[in-house]
Amino acid sequence: MASDESLPALKILMIGPSGAGKSALLIRYCDDQFDSESSTATIGVDFKVKKLSVHGTAYRLNLLDTAGQERFRTLSNSYYRGAHGVILVYDISNRPSFQAMERWFEEAETNAMPGAILYLVGNKMDKASSSRVVRYEEGEELARRHGCGFCEVSAKTRDNVKKPFVDIVDQIVRKPELLKASSRRSGTVALVEPEGTGSICAC
Amino acid sequence: MESLSETQWDVLIEGTGLRQSLLALALSRSGKKILHVDQNGYYGDAEAAFSLQEADEWVEQVKGDSPTGTFRNASLWKPDEEASKEERKLSFSRAYTLTLSPQIIYTRSQLLTQLVSSKVYRQLEFQAVGNWWIYTLPEAEAVSESDQKAILKRLPNGREDIFEDESIENRAKRSLMKFLKFVVNYEEHPEIWQPHAESSLSDFLASQFQLSPYLQTLIAALTLSLDKPEETSVGYALPRIERHLTSIGVFGPGFGAVLPKWGGGAEISQVACRAGAVGGGSYVLGTGIKTVQEKGEDQPIEVELSNGETVKTKYLARGSESKDDTTPSPRALSKIIAVVSSPFASLFESSVEGSPLAAVSVVVFPPNTLTTDTIPHTHPVYIMVHSSETGECPAGQCVLYATTLYSPTSKALLDAALQALLNSAKDIGDAKLLYTLSYEQQGPASHPSLDLAFNDQVLEDVAQEWDAIMGEGVDPATFMQFEDRPGMNDDDNEGLASAN
Repeated sequence: MASDESLPALKILMIGPSGAGKSALLIRYCDDQFDSESSTATIGVDFKVKKLSVHGTAYRLNLLDTAGQERFRTLSNSYYRGAHGVILVYDISNRPSFQAMERWFEEAETNAMPGAILYLVGNKMDKASSSRVVRYEEGEELARRHGCGFCEVSAKTRDNVKKPFVDIVDQIVRKPELLKASSRRSGTVALVEPEGTGSICAC
Repeated sequence: MESLSETQWDVLIEGTGLRQSLLALALSRSGKKILHVDQNGYYGDAEAAFSLQEADEWVEQVKGDSPTGTFRNASLWKPDEEASKEERKLSFSRAYTLTLSPQIIYTRSQLLTQLVSSKVYRQLEFQAVGNWWIYTLPEAEAVSESDQKAILKRLPNGREDIFEDESIENRAKRSLMKFLKFVVNYEEHPEIWQPHAESSLSDFLASQFQLSPYLQTLIAALTLSLDKPEETSVGYALPRIERHLTSIGVFGPGFGAVLPKWGGGAEISQVACRAGAVGGGSYVLGTGIKTVQEKGEDQPIEVELSNGETVKTKYLARGSESKDDTTPSPRALSKIIAVVSSPFASLFESSVEGSPLAAVSVVVFPPNTLTTDTIPHTHPVYIMVHSSETGECPAGQCVLYATTLYSPTSKALLDAALQALLNSAKDIGDAKLLYTLSYEQQGPASHPSLDLAFNDQVLEDVAQEWDAIMGEGVDPATFMQFEDRPGMNDDDNEGLASAN
């Protein structure tokens, strides 16, 4: 709503290999839905908006999904512009997806703005007893080496799904310089009147 | 890697340059199965943007002569590491975004209208192209040949500016105002200009409006024409002058053109490709097209990709350069991208109240202002100065994009123009060049890619191809008209703050 528009906006990206469950995690967190049938790449989701309060201050989270551009590793530089945080997701029941994380960290560290917060998530915790192949400690150790937060979640069972988002926002808002770095400057030209209904402002 | 050959594609788009990326955007809600490939390992093709390291790799690819490629003869220059002081050094590779597409976008371009109607403008940050400067000897001052010292003079920004300009005498001002009044409505007065459409702009301004050579130069600068003023035709120039003048003030006072942050056209093509991906398109870089076999009507086209896979598609949208074309391109431009150790603050200072801080300034060097014994200066030189606000370089530096028509001495001419700019901008002290990348770009004479301003012809080409792909019955009015994607849910989250 109108008042939400004025909330400080935080841009948070999801990255990681295909099939790790990035979209499932996003949809579970934002809409509390889970579709076990849908295993195909995500279509039609540009970004999700979620309001989240931390320490009594409300923030507007803009959560961006990879739109399938991770399949052939063709995410563009522009995807990373202005991101305050990057959530890296792998599948605990899939060893190659964990092994790929080193390259995803490298991509995030080179493309995101300096100081952006990274956060590692091991998804599909519901498979822990049946088909876990990546131990919790391995994920923890990888996160420690990159100096970032870590948790395991299950988009399917809802376990822990809020934690990565709350934790990363908590870390972002502790760095006021990060919020300042991405705020739009006086030099930005608005092509559309802020109050407008989408019509171009031609005189 | 997943297999691409299992899918029956509706459209295969070759190349992620601006035109093909806009096509992907136009098709992003069509429901068609789209495969979008680029032989390069990066987005943007001839409109790409590079970090320093990526620029090094690009130079390796296009350093040789090439009669038919888009780019040729690229070379790099950097000062000796030892010689440069700590505070005036190049920063790290990723601190730079050097773009091959610094074309300014006039505010009345349909591109902006379409970026808004297709909703992708939300992913772009537009910045103002502010002051225009001309390197000139002020007309009023009579100085002997030997003392001639050209200076940078700001082009008047509208009528009030002209009235206040003391270097233009009153009678000349009246003539100038008369011309400006005519040109913003030139289409309604064909009797004035059509008989002269093929004549040169200079002759037309002199004979029909009694404008002095100095004022002719000011007017010619607004065309961004790369030709000599005496070879720039009235029919070419008037629409461009009109566009310049009527674009000022559309999105705010004091500017008539914009540029997306982070590399202009390069950023638009990336954002357009993401829209294509959001719509379900598949993106593969580092993969070009090897062979194409048309099996006849109603049969899919078989395309062999450079990764060895063969895919089938109903429609193939080829890249801009036809690979079989062996005729050398008729027009070539000489270009230099330079990084300088100065913010050039005075070039961006606003003269108009309420205008946004400009991130780009245009500097025009009319013919004969840079002539030396060894370098003839017959064609205009343009330098687009990008401040660090563009995100293309670190604070305290600028990126300069210099262009002129190619000639055997054009590179030396661009060097002279860069040096003249460094010498004449008054606030820079001993600003130094930190990096220059020179190259040549070629193409058909009137090709949009050789224009210094975004040319709406690109959009007409995209619309035509979109129309051909969509087939009969598609409403042309729906081109690039999209609703916002769902996902903007207003759900409030219960405050679940972690303690402390």
